[in-house]
Amino acid sequence: MFVSKSMTAKVITVRPETSIIEARALMKEHHIRHLPVVEEGAVLVGIITDRDIRSALPAAFYAKSDTHPEAGEAAAIKVGDIMTANPHTVSPEDTIEDALLQIQTMRVGAFPVVDRKGRLQGLISVRDLLRAFINVLGIEEPGTLLGILVEEKLGQMKIIVDAITEENISFGSILVSRHWESNMRAVFPYLLTNNVSRVKKKLAGLGFTILDPMEWTMDRLPRHD
Amino acid sequence: MHSGVAMKSTGFLYDERFFNHVTGPYHPEVPERLTAIYQGIEQKGLLEHLTIIPAQPADRMWIELVHDKAYVDRFEAACRNGQSTFDSPDNQMGPETFPTALLAVGGVLDTVDRIIAGEIDNAFCAVRPPGHHAERSKAMGFCYFNNAAIAAAYLQTKWFLQRVAIIDIDVHHGNGTQHIFEEDDTVFYYSIHQHPSFAYPGTGRAFESGEKRGLGYTCNSTVLPGQGDAFYQEAIARDLVSAMQRFRPEFIIVSVGFDAHVDDDMSDVALSTEGYSWVMEQIVDLGMRFADGKVLSILEGGYDLPRLPELAANHVQTLLND
Repeated sequence: MFVSKSMTAKVITVRPETSIIEARALMKEHHIRHLPVVEEGAVLVGIITDRDIRSALPAAFYAKSDTHPEAGEAAAIKVGDIMTANPHTVSPEDTIEDALLQIQTMRVGAFPVVDRKGRLQGLISVRDLLRAFINVLGIEEPGTLLGILVEEKLGQMKIIVDAITEENISFGSILVSRHWESNMRAVFPYLLTNNVSRVKKKLAGLGFTILDPMEWTMDRLPRHD
Repeated sequence: MHSGVAMKSTGFLYDERFFNHVTGPYHPEVPERLTAIYQGIEQKGLLEHLTIIPAQPADRMWIELVHDKAYVDRFEAACRNGQSTFDSPDNQMGPETFPTALLAVGGVLDTVDRIIAGEIDNAFCAVRPPGHHAERSKAMGFCYFNNAAIAAAYLQTKWFLQRVAIIDIDVHHGNGTQHIFEEDDTVFYYSIHQHPSFAYPGTGRAFESGEKRGLGYTCNSTVLPGQGDAFYQEAIARDLVSAMQRFRPEFIIVSVGFDAHVDDDMSDVALSTEGYSWVMEQIVDLGMRFADGKVLSILEGGYDLPRLPELAANHVQTLLND
């Protein structure tokens, strides 16, 4: 799960001397919100967002067209004047987990991906990370999610996996939530079947508690905001 | 039957050859479901009021209105070659599965003809295998041919209907039916089902409302685990009735699954027996208001054998009542 596999590699870039009017047009044309700013040799020097441009332009101008009287004045503003210089970057060899944890704390929408020489390799956005997470969850395939309360001791997962495998059911994914109650974990297997009533009874028969779906939570971590 | 209550002429598609689709051990979609349904209707004394319709094999040309020819061929070959599953481990099959699926479709289409001809007003088709999970080219969730979708396409093609509504009350989302008609503004697909984050197949989210020309002609009401009658009443009034008032269907097809019942362990939804009757009364009422009473219900899921007799009997009773 490396950033290089989930990032957008073909990235539209601008130069520091590009006019912000042109940068805005590029964002509109390609439906993007981040433009990495590069110099000779694709060396990253900054990043500019639609929000940066919006803040730099008079509100009236932003809403209207490029023929607005203030257009000439705005065109004089260069990307290099308002970009975030030396932005936080990640490496192609960083993992998706690295990027997820950082994007949560940094509160940005995307990270430029650069190699060791500072050359731009791609961009990884919240959207790319969400897509990767949807893949991990397996929720684009038809299936049924179970919630099982499990005592935190060795070998429990094996019993669950064996019981499900014996029913000839394939796994889309398994999540294990540690932040449940003390000494307990919640296990969420996403099973690629319609037919779960028998396996639910079997797991209950093995002494596991099948969680009431309304009690499910995968997130008992404190929120960061 | 209460004396003095005017009755409609209701068809009942039932055929013991539907038992021949054998799903193997430990599978919930079993022939005994149909026996339970038949016995419930018989024991309530309703059989004599029904027009019993036997099945007949469908002409493949109608199936291919909805399914790819290559898919139909693949299904036939899988069956002939003695495969025990098709496309998904859920879809366990036997040597008679393909011919039985043809009978289910053919019986449904014959029933459609009888309603259009005015021979009967409405009907309940107790068929196996079920259909609403079947996609254009993929069998899923115990389903092979999408009986309801084929019936809708048949109404468009053979009978030139302009507005067909499919109302799906199985507790699972009818992904196949939705996808087949998601770009079609002449078929309205409404489904009420357990919220897809908690149930198979994981589609049918409230924001799915059709694509392109069909945008606004799909509507999904999602039911959280533990919710029952009160939620259904609210959702049907809010989502279904208003949609039908706008769409004004000429014909209503019901994908009826009895698996939203509180006792059915295929879901966590808690609809009561009375709740089921209420839902069907609303649908029959919509049929009277917009479609001249033309309502065709087709069996999908429902696996609790002790509850199926009463649920099926009440279902048919609602169709019979004027």
